Amino acid sequence: MALKDQTPTETIDVLGRVCPYPLVLTKKALEKLPSGGILKILCDAPASAEDSIPRYCEKQGYGFEAVKLEDKGYWELYIQKK
Amino acid sequence: MATKKLGFIVKSLPYKTEASRLAMTHAIASQTVEIYLEDGDNVEPVVCFIGDGVLNCLRQQQAMKHYGVTSLEQHIKNGLLLDMKIMICKEDIERLGLKEDALILDAEDIGGETKAEIVPYSEIQGVMESVDHLLFC
Repeated sequence: MALKDQTPTETIDVLGRVCPYPLVLTKKALEKLPSGGILKILCDAPASAEDSIPRYCEKQGYGFEAVKLEDKGYWELYIQKK
Repeated sequence: MATKKLGFIVKSLPYKTEASRLAMTHAIASQTVEIYLEDGDNVEPVVCFIGDGVLNCLRQQQAMKHYGVTSLEQHIKNGLLLDMKIMICKEDIERLGLKEDALILDAEDIGGETKAEIVPYSEIQGVMESVDHLLFC
């Protein structure tokens, strides 16, 4: 099942924050998340949503999905902790 | 595989210069560079306020009112929100007659859990001697 179709363990809202805050706050939230948990992030910073956060997930081996909500102007990001 | 420690030593006044702002910005940004490093490598920043630089830690700064820029107050709180280690020189706050309750020591109002530490200069000197890279701002 896609990550976006599962109930997230936790959701954080970093709307209005620019790089590097979305990634650092994501890392902080992931530290507290149990293994296998899903973190949902609301983010409107393109550099974070399309570059730094997916790059971090790839490096950590975490599952990652992004849904761009064109009408709302932000992304919903889903990360599953390994 | 190693963690490089970065020390940012802030000596500049909060206003009329970008130095202390740049120190905070670089320290915060350094917490994300691991995505560009080899696996297992990381960096760990610590920010120390000494000399006149301790004035950056005052609460209720009026930077927006007088200079039209955001104050260091919010930058320091953001650092604490991100669990950054922030140290303030005890001897210098005493020399300037500052009380602890006049200083930004926590970021509880924005959900931060980490607190800034008021420490003797000898402890800051220990940081300066132990970090891999040192930047005076």
